[in-house]
Amino acid sequence: MEDLFTNEIVRAENLKKTFTLSRKQQRLEKTAQTRKVAVDGLSFSANRGEIYGLLGPNGAGKTTTLRMLSTLIRPDEGDAYIMGHSVRKEPQKVRDCVGFLTGELKLETFFTPDYLFDFFGAMHGVEREALAVRKHELFSRFGIDAFSQVKVGDLSTGMKQKVSLVISIVHDPDVVIFDEPTNGLDVLTAKVVTDFLAELKRMGKSVLLSTHIFSLVEKLCDRVGIIIDGKMAEEGSLAAVCGERSLEEKFFELYRGIKGEIV
Amino acid sequence: MKLVALIKKEFHRFFHDPRLIVTILLPGILIFLIYTLIGTVVNTQEKYEYKVYVAGESVLTQAIEKAVEASGSTVEWIPADPEEGRNAVEKESATAFLAFSENFDETFLGGSVEIWRGSTEESLSFYNLAVAVLQEGAMRFAILSHSFETEQDFAKTFIAGLLPFLVVTFVFSACMSVTLESVAGEKERGTLSTILATSVKRSHIALGKIIPLSCISAIGAASSFLGVVLSLPKLMGTDLSVLGGYGFGSYVILFCLILSFVPFIVSAIGAVSTLSRSVKEASGYTSVVMILVMLMSIVSMVVTQFGDWVIAVPVLNAVIYMGKLLGGELPLWQSLVSVGVNLLYTGLLVWLISKMLSSERIMFGK
Ligand SMILES: Nc1ncnc2c1ncn2[C@@H]1O[C@H](COP(=O)(O)OP(=O)(O)OP(=O)(O)O)[C@@H](O)[C@H]1O
Ligand SMILES: [Mg+2]
Repeated sequence: MEDLFTNEIVRAENLKKTFTLSRKQQRLEKTAQTRKVAVDGLSFSANRGEIYGLLGPNGAGKTTTLRMLSTLIRPDEGDAYIMGHSVRKEPQKVRDCVGFLTGELKLETFFTPDYLFDFFGAMHGVEREALAVRKHELFSRFGIDAFSQVKVGDLSTGMKQKVSLVISIVHDPDVVIFDEPTNGLDVLTAKVVTDFLAELKRMGKSVLLSTHIFSLVEKLCDRVGIIIDGKMAEEGSLAAVCGERSLEEKFFELYRGIKGEIV
Repeated sequence: MKLVALIKKEFHRFFHDPRLIVTILLPGILIFLIYTLIGTVVNTQEKYEYKVYVAGESVLTQAIEKAVEASGSTVEWIPADPEEGRNAVEKESATAFLAFSENFDETFLGGSVEIWRGSTEESLSFYNLAVAVLQEGAMRFAILSHSFETEQDFAKTFIAGLLPFLVVTFVFSACMSVTLESVAGEKERGTLSTILATSVKRSHIALGKIIPLSCISAIGAASSFLGVVLSLPKLMGTDLSVLGGYGFGSYVILFCLILSFVPFIVSAIGAVSTLSRSVKEASGYTSVVMILVMLMSIVSMVVTQFGDWVIAVPVLNAVIYMGKLLGGELPLWQSLVSVGVNLLYTGLLVWLISKMLSSERIMFGK
């Protein structure tokens, strides 16, 4: 049974996003169409203090959805509300209460993690003392202390990912949106990240993450939305979506239903 | 607060990277070295045998002779009447012609001495020596100098005319090297998106680029300018009279004019960079802008008569009034209006850039 007292913190209503393809993209996608519907009428809601997982194969539209929620791009149709703020009408307010992690947002390789943490803290208007406390906390938690004075350009992929993660939540946002947070991480670091997500939940934060890893969803998420071809194929609490089967079995069943046999 | 952090970051990026500092200072250093080198090759102290026509008499000729000998040259004095003397100088059969007024030595106070010189290096070097000697007594009598110098003969006047053009070119290349890298570079590398994901105002992001980049470009432009000014005396073999003899006010106005079009050029390149997808694309467009600006300043060298409308054209207004300043005029209010106009355009461009930063198609269109 779903808890009737949890309130909705993220609500997406009929989100739609169409991209215009350039010649080059047409060639890459092997299509003659000039437009690509990436997200096609997506609706879902996530609750306060829960972890919501968006699950879908490559190109399903997960990243595009999360980019719309974090106001990087605008939906063509529909709207989404984060803590009651519309991503269309109040993007600045949404940006203040959201922390977004995705591969597209890069850190300047010239600077050190220490400098960038302070810089983005200032960008979010975090007080100096609060920032110092938070830096100490997060840097020791993720083992960034050891390389906090090394230029980002000289860090390994995993180290960079940790720094990006920590900086995305520098302002202690209520809603954390992570796009494939364990991508490129070894099992040890991946565990640090998943443990941290669970802790965020314990602290009352709301987490929205995208992934194509079934086990991650099963282990962490309270609710799950399965996206296929830009549409929500199934949404609900993990138990309600899976029923008796494993998440993987449920996914293939849905996939076969929509796309026919798997090639 | 957020704006301050953005500005600080830009300065930090620049001043902690020796390579960038070198890039911005190198043009000035190179100009200085090259001009000085050319100057030393061209101006190795020549020894002359001056042939000078004199009308009237004065003991001052002996003083001049001493100075000439001290410089390693010799002088032959040939008495002549004014007509003859002037013709000889014009035809270059004489180095110079000195005409002392009647009873010059006795009437020191009311007397005058006229000097005529030709367009050759030899003539100029004698002239400089003679004037230096005569000037000792210049408080007491008048020196009237005449020159048969023709324009193309003397690099000096040429370079004086060229100066506004050189300044614009240096400023532009300084602005280009910093702005392309910082704006188009950040966009291409995806680090600008990270800032766009925060709630900082788009206008602050724009200002946070334009303000520090203008300061840095001004440093680069100043370095190039210093390079020219310091090496010109060596190149010309004489002091550059174009730059001497001006009041403090002229320098202040000159400086303001230069400082007013630095932010304009930075924001113009900034706008182009924001529109472009990559540094390569941006530098392609910027070269077109550069050619336009350079053409404009070349036109301003050739065409001397402009209507007052030039005041409304950014950069061109500064070029024109800089030229006038160097020509000895003091177009005070026009210069001030030009500074205002350039800053106004800059404001407009900053506003445009902040609009572009809010545009999904420009920032995230593939
Ligand atoms: N800027 C863009 N221009 C054109 N097409 C795009 C653009 N961004 C995404 N797409 C297309 O939209 C579709 C959805 O992309 P999206 O990145 O949202 O998928 P995803 O679910 O995150 O996939 P993955 O698991 O591979 O990250 C893809 O077909 C992609 O090619
Ligand atoms: Mg993705």
